[in-house]
Amino acid sequence: MNHRSAAEQADYLSRRRARILPGLFVIYMSQQAIYFSAAGRAPTSAQTVKIGAWALLTIVITLALATKGFWFQPRQVRDMIDDESTRSNRLEAMRLGFLLAIFGALAAYFFNQIEPLTVGEAIQLVVSLSLGAALIRFAILERRAHRYG
Amino acid sequence: MAERLGNRIKERRGELGLTQADVAELVGVTRKTVNTVENGVFTPSALLAIKLAAALNVPVETLFWIER
Repeated sequence: MNHRSAAEQADYLSRRRARILPGLFVIYMSQQAIYFSAAGRAPTSAQTVKIGAWALLTIVITLALATKGFWFQPRQVRDMIDDESTRSNRLEAMRLGFLLAIFGALAAYFFNQIEPLTVGEAIQLVVSLSLGAALIRFAILERRAHRYG
Repeated sequence: MAERLGNRIKERRGELGLTQADVAELVGVTRKTVNTVENGVFTPSALLAIKLAAALNVPVETLFWIER
C-alpha cells in the first residue's frame, strides 16, 4: 500500500526518471548501430521488426518529452512532476533536439552528394540524432538538478 | 556582467523549521525545484517566487534580490 503524499510520490518518480533516462538513451542509440550495421542488405522480416521497435520507441520518447509523461499517475502527481524547473529542462532539451534536427538534415543532404542515402537512412539519422540529443540533455539537466538535493 | 537572483530561502526555512520537502509541498512543486532555486541553479518565474515568499511568510523582495 502506498502512503506517500503527492509531493513525495512526485519527487520519487522524478528521481527515478532521472536515473532511468541515461539507460533509455543507450538503448535507443544502440538500435541505430544495429540498423546501420545492416544497411545496404536486402530487407528481412527481422529488420522490419527492428524498425518497428525503433519507430515505437521514438513515438514513446517523443510523447514523453513533449508532454508531462507518467500517463498512468494521478493528475496531481503529474502536475507536480512537471513543475517549473522540469518544464525549463524539458524545453532546453527540446531546443537542442530541434537544432540538431536542422543540422542533421543539412548534414544528411550534403552527405548524400558523396555517399547516397536512402530516405529511410536519412530519417533514421535525423530522428535519432535529434531525439537522442534531446533525451540525453534532459537526462543530464534532471540529474544535475537532483544532485543539488 | 551576469546578474543572478540571490535568495534567503534556506535561512528563512531554518527560522520556520521547515524542510525543503515541506516548502515543496506548500508551494506545489517537487523538492528538486526548491533545491535548485535555493542553490541559485534555477531562476524561478515571478509566479513561483511569489508562491515561495507566501509559503515562507515574507515579502518577495525580502526573499529574493538581484546579485551583480
